[in-house]
Amino acid sequence: MPKWNDLQEQSFLESDARARAVGLVDEGTYTELAGPFDRFYSPHLEVLGEAVEFDDGIVTAVGKIGKTPVFVISQEGRFIGGSVGEVGGAKMVNTIRLAIEFHDKLVADYPDISDEEKPVVVISFETGGVRLHESNAGLLAHAEVMDQLQKARHKVPVITLIGSKVGCFGGMGFVAAATDAIVMSEFGRLGLTGPEVIEQEMGKEEFDSSDRALVFRTTGGRHKYIMGDCNVLVHNTIGAFREAVAKLAVLPVSEFEKMRRIGSPEAVERQLRAVALAAEMQPQDARDVWVKAGNPDPVALTDIPLDEFLADVKRLSV
Amino acid sequence: MEATETMMGRGRDAIDMIVDADSFNEGTIGAKTFDDPEFGPGAVVGTAALNGETVTIIASDANAFNEKFPVVYAGIIGMEEGYKMAQAVYASLEADKAKPVAEKRPLVLIVDTPGNGPGKVEEIFGMNKATGAYQLALAEARLAGHPIVAMVIGRAISGAFLCHGLQADHIVSLDANFGTMIHVMPLTSVSRIIRKDLETLQELSKGNPVFAAGPRFFYALGGVEELVGTIEGMRPTIIEHIKAIRAAKAAGEAEKLGPWGRGQLGAEREGRKVRPEVIKLMNQEFAAVAEKYAPSR
Repeated sequence: MPKWNDLQEQSFLESDARARAVGLVDEGTYTELAGPFDRFYSPHLEVLGEAVEFDDGIVTAVGKIGKTPVFVISQEGRFIGGSVGEVGGAKMVNTIRLAIEFHDKLVADYPDISDEEKPVVVISFETGGVRLHESNAGLLAHAEVMDQLQKARHKVPVITLIGSKVGCFGGMGFVAAATDAIVMSEFGRLGLTGPEVIEQEMGKEEFDSSDRALVFRTTGGRHKYIMGDCNVLVHNTIGAFREAVAKLAVLPVSEFEKMRRIGSPEAVERQLRAVALAAEMQPQDARDVWVKAGNPDPVALTDIPLDEFLADVKRLSV
Repeated sequence: MEATETMMGRGRDAIDMIVDADSFNEGTIGAKTFDDPEFGPGAVVGTAALNGETVTIIASDANAFNEKFPVVYAGIIGMEEGYKMAQAVYASLEADKAKPVAEKRPLVLIVDTPGNGPGKVEEIFGMNKATGAYQLALAEARLAGHPIVAMVIGRAISGAFLCHGLQADHIVSLDANFGTMIHVMPLTSVSRIIRKDLETLQELSKGNPVFAAGPRFFYALGGVEELVGTIEGMRPTIIEHIKAIRAAKAAGEAEKLGPWGRGQLGAEREGRKVRPEVIKLMNQEFAAVAEKYAPSR
């Protein structure tokens, strides 16, 4: 593991799950929970004769940023695509649960507790969702995560980070959508159905999954930022993600409600206006929507440097 | 096991078989009405009486086709469908918001859906939000005291089952002889993708329910509370579960319900044995360091 200071400059895209987790919190505050020395691995992979990892491909930890306790979940795409099974799913679910319990305890024990002293959860996604080797257990774990996200509402903000190679797809695509705030880099990708499956369903002429640019402008960070699905778009370093989390972590939980895209009747009405726009436009390409959002030169939006993009881009409002 | 009649593709029939005769009022929940027949036609929502009690019904219509979003057919839940289902839940919450917990209306989810809408437009606009919105609404209603029962009558496939079913307090399913399908993908596809031969997987499935498809494996994992052996059994079973859920909520045992409750059930039925060990150890490890993360005063 590189030194903490070096981690800050490290590419988020290239970083493994533990480097991301360690680098996100203040130096010296990191405690891993159910870490590799506890040797909790998937019994189901073992039965299949597959290699196992002693953290099951998910790093769960607690640390601090300033005065804020930060519960971190970080998925490892290099282990079976960051897929979620029984053990990794339980780690994810219980991390959120621990944060909620800790919140309740702190609020009871410290009547004068400030917003920045209350815990947050940060999830660094790198996953395609359910692990097919133990698919039923993985599926049930997804439902448990969604349940905990709702239980965390109005108590513990849950912040999503997406900027790793695998992106965030499958069931974890809606888990991310259901969190309070979403931070992405332009290399992050977020969706439900992965590009290969869309091609399979719709045909190559409609969606060519080998067209990298097409894939990115359909699910990538810049597109999701225009759509309002990503709240903060940052540069591709662990430090940049950390800085975004640090800014969010001190806010009162009520501020996070405003960042949500779903989770209330009002948010659903807003999304339905976007769906009506989709029905009316029948866009052939994400660029059609960028134009609709008020960007006359959508092709340029993909190529300009990130800071210029952030300064110039018009985001869709419905 | 004898193959019998199937309910697959018959969501509307199932509503009639389950609720009190002629009581289903489609498109109205409390003060909310769904007036546009072209809006989310794959989702059937409305109000009915069940054993004399007002209930919200949410189902899929396998015969509907969404003209605006052609990926929606055969019971697929598209963007409009997902949000429509979420609206049905919020309308139920609103209708009963002044009522005490014990009187919140039940929601009955009739589950027969093969998937969420896959497509380019869906990804551009974010299908993940539509399915997520519905799940959050269901979780909110469950936590607010509404009893939610999911009745699997046909296909409960992967993300669509997460969307429409897995947030319920209790899940009941017609048994495997009705052709009921609960899985992420069929074992044949799993075999191809993870490169393990089908015979090996089938053999392993006998001893370990995480690999295989079908309601009985989900039962062993605690993913389904009860299997229903007859079509006529659906109605009384749902009524029974609503009663049990109400009792659990009244007794302050909500933790035994929903996804978390099914996690515990998975351990009791020995389908998911590592999950509780992981949770226990994490709790101990955090308790040992928690003080470090509390405010310094």
